[in-house]
Amino acid sequence: MSILVVGLSHKTAPVEIRERLAFKEELLSAALNTLVDQEVVHEALIVSTCNRVEMIISANGDTQAGLERTREFLYKYHDLPRSSMDQYLYHHANEHAIKHVFRVAASLDSMVMGEPQILGQVKNAYAKAVETGTVGRSLMKLMQHAFSVAKRVRTETAIASNAVSISYVAVELAKKVFDDLDGKTVMLLGAGEMAELAMRHLKNNGAGRILVANRTNDRAKKLASELGGTAVPFENLYEYLVEADIAIVSTGAPDYVLTAAGVAKTIDARRHRPLFLIDIAVPRNIDPDVSKLDSVFSFDIDDLEAAVEANIRERQQEAIEAETLIQREVDQFLSAMRSMELGPAIASLKQQMSEVANAEFERNRKRLGNLSTEQEEAIKAMMNSLTNKLSHPLIMQLRQAAESGGDDKVIELCQNAYSRGHTRQQREEV
Amino acid sequence: MSLLLLISLIFYSFGLFNVIRTWRTKRKDLATQALVSTGAGFVVHTAALIWRAVQVHGVPITGHAQEAFSLLGWALVLYYLITYSRYKTQALTAFILPLIFGFTLAATVLPTDRPLSPQANMLRGFADSPLFIFHILLIMFSYAAFFVTFASGVMYLVQERELKVKRFGTFFFRLPSLTTCDDISYRSLSIGFVLLTFALAFGVYMNGERDGKLWHNDPKEIIAVVTWLLYLTLMHYRLTAGWRGHKAAVIAIIGFGLILFSLIGLRFLPGYHVFG
Repeated sequence: MSILVVGLSHKTAPVEIRERLAFKEELLSAALNTLVDQEVVHEALIVSTCNRVEMIISANGDTQAGLERTREFLYKYHDLPRSSMDQYLYHHANEHAIKHVFRVAASLDSMVMGEPQILGQVKNAYAKAVETGTVGRSLMKLMQHAFSVAKRVRTETAIASNAVSISYVAVELAKKVFDDLDGKTVMLLGAGEMAELAMRHLKNNGAGRILVANRTNDRAKKLASELGGTAVPFENLYEYLVEADIAIVSTGAPDYVLTAAGVAKTIDARRHRPLFLIDIAVPRNIDPDVSKLDSVFSFDIDDLEAAVEANIRERQQEAIEAETLIQREVDQFLSAMRSMELGPAIASLKQQMSEVANAEFERNRKRLGNLSTEQEEAIKAMMNSLTNKLSHPLIMQLRQAAESGGDDKVIELCQNAYSRGHTRQQREEV
Repeated sequence: MSLLLLISLIFYSFGLFNVIRTWRTKRKDLATQALVSTGAGFVVHTAALIWRAVQVHGVPITGHAQEAFSLLGWALVLYYLITYSRYKTQALTAFILPLIFGFTLAATVLPTDRPLSPQANMLRGFADSPLFIFHILLIMFSYAAFFVTFASGVMYLVQERELKVKRFGTFFFRLPSLTTCDDISYRSLSIGFVLLTFALAFGVYMNGERDGKLWHNDPKEIIAVVTWLLYLTLMHYRLTAGWRGHKAAVIAIIGFGLILFSLIGLRFLPGYHVFG
């Protein structure tokens, strides 16, 4: 039983190709049913998002056949000539496939590492496949494990915990000054998409009072009502700045809207309670000297970019932790899978041996003459003990091989040697 | 050398080691391990103090410097654990554990059986007086509080610098917000100041009881009053002129320097207020 993955992602194909090979949600069920043919492909799952299309399958032992079949299905389904898109596709088998699935679910393969959507998307794809009936034991175990690994990565590493967009990072920086934004007063000077987005984020994070000031009073009033705040006259901005803990400045003014002298007075009036300023405008609206004042923290657009970059670096650092965690989980999963296959193999071995023992006993019965019940029992017990002792070292070796990730050939050997009495089908159903 | 103290020192070292590791990788379990080690060390440290108390048939303050350091380290751990349970600031562990380790190390290696100096012996006469014991305990706990003020002051200054310079390095991600640092500072400052005030009051009173003189111009007395005045000034201006954040942190660091000098440097100066 092998686990295989065939697919393409933003890393290997441009959006036009990804579009061409995507699967529509409504048609997923039918697609899944076509993919699973019981001969080669036993179980299947299709993940189709704007950034990736992946088919995760569980096939019978032949890896190459499984991959071929999956690719064939993809081309046929999308009505494309064979091998036309091969350059955009990647494939993984067994250990690499398992690792890939874990990584994708944990958002390590996403465009922005740590993004939260992918896990939900994979879970939906899984639910769809379960509904359709194309998920069996192998994929079920794989995906359940993938979901728990994803959760571990999110909680045990900081891969998803910091901001990677300008407006989010503004909130994060504010929290480094204020800790808690509850009840803080935020002031918007001017207008603009990014500024308004940042205001909304601040509001969502607990900011209390919102003040809006604009050279055009009507604009201020409109924005204020949209944001649930109050419009204040632009001419008295320093007066209101005293009440603000956070201010976002984004006007088209060619000169400084906030000067060092003005802010210095403001901060004194605030008795040096911290003041957090964001300057999204280019050319800048806040005098750079403002940043040097005590208890004032001022960030322009370059600073915010630097913060985003720092966060991304942190995420990459955390990603290393995540990769280590995932590798450990993959090893664990493989070991568990091997043990799972091992059970039936050992059962077959034992059964085969006891069958041989019994057969021999029956064959030689006449030569032993008349046996009392007691003697019969004794001989049967001896046979039992004999087969157990003979098979014990072999079984120990097999278990060790499974746990230590040894050669899968060992298990295959055992299966081949001792299950002549069973069909492959029967074995796999156990 | 107290075996129990040595064991607690080992626990603290383990905690310190883990805390240093968290600055390279933000693994959350390392921070928890550090906290647990410190807690375990605290339990053993408490046992060590109780054992010493049993040995001397009373409160373990008999004139040896070792006892002062042991008690101080213990008070610091206690104060740190209380602060941590309230603020959950992992960075605090990184700044306080070195101090805890230092004091406990001193307590582990300093002797308890060397004969005391004549001045210290003189003070032994007070060992049974409850006022004396309170005086010492209050001093120790106030110092512990001021050490936390120092630690959070340093944290504040580092974090402030990261925010001002806008190069977001290792510290930026691991330090708490400025407000949290300042809150911890303010709270510990207030507690430390109240404790110190009472401690000095007891001290002055005992002076009077002993030889009628309330003041001896002894170096330790002078430093103690200077320290008290420093923290008084800080409290006053925090309340009235909004001396928060940066200014408060700088003053807390100076205060810490004064306290260290009072604990360690003064041993080399003559005076009557000296421990053996």
